[in-house]
Amino acid sequence: MTSTRLIQLSSSSYRDYLRTCLEDGGKFLGLYACRTGITCLVEGGSGSISALSCDTPDKKAPSIVDLAFNANWDEREAHDLYGIEFDGHQPLRPLVNHDSKLDTWTVRLEGEEPYQVAVGPIHAGIIESGHFRFHVVGDRILHLDPRLFYKHRGLEMAAESKHFKEAISYVGRACMACSVSNTLSYALACEDILGLQATNELSRTRTLLLELERIWNHLNDIGAVCAGVGMAAGNAIFGYLVEQVRRICEQVTGHRFMARSIQVGKSEIEVDGSTVEQVRTKLGEIRKLFESSWRDLVFNSTFQDRLTGVGIISQENAKLYGVVGPAGRASGLSRDNRSRDKSLLYRDFEVSMLKDPSGDVKSRFDQRELELNQAFDIVSALLEGDIASATCEVRRGPRTPDEQDCIDSDNSDTGRIGVGLVEGPRGSTLCAVELDGQIIKRVHLRSASFNNWQALAKCTIGNLLPDFPLINKSFELCYACVDR
Amino acid sequence: MNMSSYLLGLIQVFGGIILSPILVGVIQQLKAVMQGRRGPGIFQPYRELKRLWGKGLVNVAGTTIIYKLAPVISSSVLVIAICIVPISSRSPNFGFGHDALVLVGLLALGRFSIAASSWDTQNGFGLMGASRDIAISVFAESCLVISLAVVMLSARSSDLRTMISVTAGPERWISPVLPLVLISFTVVAITEIGRQPVDNPDTHLELTMIHEGPLLEYAGRDLALLQWNMAARHWIFLVLICQIFLPHGSSTLVQLIALPIVILALCVVAAAIETVVVKMRVLEVPRLLSVGTVTAMMALLALKATL
Repeated sequence: MTSTRLIQLSSSSYRDYLRTCLEDGGKFLGLYACRTGITCLVEGGSGSISALSCDTPDKKAPSIVDLAFNANWDEREAHDLYGIEFDGHQPLRPLVNHDSKLDTWTVRLEGEEPYQVAVGPIHAGIIESGHFRFHVVGDRILHLDPRLFYKHRGLEMAAESKHFKEAISYVGRACMACSVSNTLSYALACEDILGLQATNELSRTRTLLLELERIWNHLNDIGAVCAGVGMAAGNAIFGYLVEQVRRICEQVTGHRFMARSIQVGKSEIEVDGSTVEQVRTKLGEIRKLFESSWRDLVFNSTFQDRLTGVGIISQENAKLYGVVGPAGRASGLSRDNRSRDKSLLYRDFEVSMLKDPSGDVKSRFDQRELELNQAFDIVSALLEGDIASATCEVRRGPRTPDEQDCIDSDNSDTGRIGVGLVEGPRGSTLCAVELDGQIIKRVHLRSASFNNWQALAKCTIGNLLPDFPLINKSFELCYACVDR
Repeated sequence: MNMSSYLLGLIQVFGGIILSPILVGVIQQLKAVMQGRRGPGIFQPYRELKRLWGKGLVNVAGTTIIYKLAPVISSSVLVIAICIVPISSRSPNFGFGHDALVLVGLLALGRFSIAASSWDTQNGFGLMGASRDIAISVFAESCLVISLAVVMLSARSSDLRTMISVTAGPERWISPVLPLVLISFTVVAITEIGRQPVDNPDTHLELTMIHEGPLLEYAGRDLALLQWNMAARHWIFLVLICQIFLPHGSSTLVQLIALPIVILALCVVAAAIETVVVKMRVLEVPRLLSVGTVTAMMALLALKATL
């Protein structure tokens, strides 16, 4: 991965610069605030990442929601946490701040027929805290206002002024379901700043862990969709499969959710050849059972009937909301960070796409099956021989023009920024790190869930209220990743 | 009243009131086994009833007596219904008669009292569940009444005991009337006992609930009563299917021996359906019930042809 370019801009040129970037085929990746200003991350057409930084001494910045629609939550979060006013973002509804009246964070209910249904934040099932306000006519959804951040822990701020090696545990605590993707994106961001390049051995371990995480998450999500339509048998069998994979994760890393398995600049995981062989055989059995259970679901017409045509995100909307991950690919966006990745072992990676991606629950469901098979293939190819502990090497050779540029525009070696971009089970997970020497100045984690929640709220419109759990489970987004 | 009549009455009341939770337990356990789980055993509903019975009640702020009365009314209604539904053609009269139409009315009264309670508590999920239940019952009741009417017409009586004796024996099954009514009545039964594909009794997803929704505001003894209600409904509908709509013998002894066996078989069927068939989209349910109604109408036509 090429180093991140830091570009200092004034608040007047910030919007124009971003517009040019986006018009040149760039993609908005995220936006965050710090005590002195805001930083917007964009991926250029060539794949290099730029950080557009803009000082806000008067706590005012121009809004970019009209240029990048999925900056909506980013700006609202920046406003609630750092008090920055975004000119042109109207109304700037509270997101993290919960001490506000209903009218300020939801759309007002109008007319005689529609009524409001409030769900959560305490649910009958074992799920995380989220509050959903539906505007409904009969059983049909007119509008949905989700409210998350019930368990906002201030992890990002807590990690500040810690040593970068210590701060990884703060990022890891954000969410256990995405623990590898989150910590890996953090580690890559740090290595990006420090100019470290992972060795082949290190990349192999990391790729393996990331794909294992994808396997258990996708299996879990398929089971969740089964539960959403009352298919208890499917839920039971996929629950069993998830547990089996988690046990493999424990065998490899010592933790069922692979916590603390990723470290900056190195890996201490050591697995001997016979255990690797054992894990490979076990995964083969899991795959066989998965394939037969999947076939049972495919041939169950009452089950398939429930999935088609529900919770559609058109390709147009998916582009607008920048939907990432399997959900985006199920809507026809062929984006997958693994295809652009240079720091992990994804050689000859081809994005798997459905023949006819229609963006409904069924497409997202089928997309997961495609990606599961791909992940099984990748993992079994990586499981050859011992897994040894490994380290990074310092990048040698002359700096690339991009990197030179980065130094030039920054003028000093301190306060540099690094970005790690990883394709997690739910999609593109980004971590931006600003270091002051070896001390964290700011760390920002923008998980795929943070991005996709906005699209989820949109795609429920026009669907039936009893179908919402199903639509929700077809995304199966994390609350914890957002309440970080 | 002679000895056998006493015995029949005793079995009917004992079975309906005391044994009915076991039906729910059996279905749960069978489902668990079919779905690769160990299951809690068939006596789990009793444990739950015991646990709930020992707990205090919830007094929801702002509710009136309607909320408090609803579990009592719907339970008493079902006790009467248990007395009305005979387990054999020679069951004794408990003073309520055995009129099929009274049964339909009683079930509607129970439904109304629960719906009124959710209106009283103003709980969104309760109201949603109740409104779905009532909307669906428009279709379910027509199907129920027509199914019963077919048998009533052939028995020329609305007395359930007469209906049992008229439909007894194999010769009735030569005509397509009973097989058709069996289909339509099964559809109603699945709806009324809140099973898949119409409703999912095991769900925790508030937004999808039908029968469970109005129960959310209840706790303790009230909830125990309401859970027992669902078990009693199982008894009523399974007994009706078994003694009227499925082939059965004309002698009391045969009817009595066949009852537990057939009910158990029906539990297996219910568990199997719940394992392979998922819950339908809620707007599709009226369509399923309309199919039931049309089947009952076909039975009516078939009956007219044979009369």
